Amino acid sequence: MMEVIRVLKAGVYKDNPVFRQILGICSSLAVTNLLLNSLVMGVGLMFVTAFSSFTVSLLRTKTPKHIRMMVQTLIISAYVIILDLFLKAYMPSMSKALGPYVGLIITNCIIMGRAEAFAQKNKPFISFFDGLIMGFGYTWVLLLIAFFRELLGFGSLFGIRILGEGWVNWTLMIMPPGAFFMLGIVIWATYSLFPHEDQEKAGVKA
Amino acid sequence: MAKKKQVLYPVLFMLILTAAYTFVLAFINESTIAIIEAQEELRIQKSILYVFDIPFEDQQAAVNKLYNERFDIATSGDMTYYVYKTEGSVVGYAFPLYGNGLWGSISGYIALSPDFETLLGIDFIAHSETPGLGGRIDEEWYKEQFRTLDVSSDPPVVYRPVSGGNVDAITGATLTSKSVSTIINDFMTEIKIFAEEENLYDGSN
Repeated sequence: MMEVIRVLKAGVYKDNPVFRQILGICSSLAVTNLLLNSLVMGVGLMFVTAFSSFTVSLLRTKTPKHIRMMVQTLIISAYVIILDLFLKAYMPSMSKALGPYVGLIITNCIIMGRAEAFAQKNKPFISFFDGLIMGFGYTWVLLLIAFFRELLGFGSLFGIRILGEGWVNWTLMIMPPGAFFMLGIVIWATYSLFPHEDQEKAGVKA
Repeated sequence: MAKKKQVLYPVLFMLILTAAYTFVLAFINESTIAIIEAQEELRIQKSILYVFDIPFEDQQAAVNKLYNERFDIATSGDMTYYVYKTEGSVVGYAFPLYGNGLWGSISGYIALSPDFETLLGIDFIAHSETPGLGGRIDEEWYKEQFRTLDVSSDPPVVYRPVSGGNVDAITGATLTSKSVSTIINDFMTEIKIFAEEENLYDGSN
C-alpha cells in the first residue's frame, strides 16, 4: 500500500514526467492546441506505458541484461502499433488529427524511462500501476496546457465555444511558440508550487 | 564473478518474443483492416454527399445506401469522377481536387454543375495547414461560401475586397487562402478542357 501511494505521488507531481523529468516534451508541445487531442494522446500514452511496463516487468527475470533495451523497444512498438490500429479503425477523425504523433509515442522517453527505471526492478502489477500513473502525470499536464491554449486561442473548450463573440482569438497560443510559453510557465509555476527533492534533502542536512 | 555472456539464449529469447508479437500484431491487423478501409471509404462518400449538398444521417449504412443510390462512378484515364443524376438528367459532377497548400498538399472534392459555370460545393479531405489559421478551411462558413458560386468569369475565384471578388479569405491565413483559390482556378482551366474532351457539357454523357 505504501508503495502504491509513493508511486502515485511520484507520477502526479513529485517526479512528474513532464515538468520534473522534462520528458515527452515534443508531443506535449505538438498536440496541446486542442483539449480533445491532448486527452486522446494522454490516454494512449497511459495505455502504452502501463502495458509496456507490465510486460517488461513480467519478462525481467528471463531477459538477458545486455539485450534488454532491444526487448523493451520491441514491446513498446508492439503496443504503439496496436493503439494506432485501434484509433484508425474506431476513431478515424482522431487518428487524422493526431497524425504522426501516435506512431511517435514509440520514441516518447517516458515509456522507456519507466521500463528502465521502474519495471526492470519491480513486480508486474506495481509496474503496470506505475506506468499508468506516469501516463496520467503526463496527461494532466497536457490537459492543463491545452486548457489555456484552446481557451485563449480558439475561445472554446473541447470544441464548445466558451468565450463570447467579442473574444478575439489569440493566435499565438495555437501556434507552436504558444506551447513553449505555456510549458515554460507550467514548469516555473510547478517548480515553486511543489516541494523540490533537492531542497528537502538540503533542508535536512542544514 | 562475472558471468560469461551467453549467445544462444539471448538469440532464442529475442526470436521467440519477436515471433509472439508479430503473431499478435498480424492478428490485430487482419481483424481491423476491413474496418479501416470502410472508414476511409466512408470519409470519401460523406465528402461527395457534402459537395452536392445532399443531407445525410451520420451513420455508415445510411451513407453507403444514399451514396450508392445517387452516384455513378466514371473513369477516364487517371481521372475518377462522380456523376449525380436525378430522374435521368445530370445535376452535377464531382471531381477530386488536389494541389499545394502552404505547408503541404491539400486534397478534397469539388462539385460542378453540368454547364461548368456554377461551383456546387467544395470539401477538403486532407491538408496540413496551421490549426486555427489555414486549418480553418475546414470550417463551414468558409466552405459554404463556395456553394452555388458563379465561376464563369476568369479567374473564377477572387477574394474580396478586390473588385469582382466573390468569396472572403481567412483572416491571418492569406497564404492558405491564396493556395485554395489557385487550386480551384487552375482546376477550372483544366477541367474545362477535360469536359470538352469527354463531352460532359450539359450532361450529354
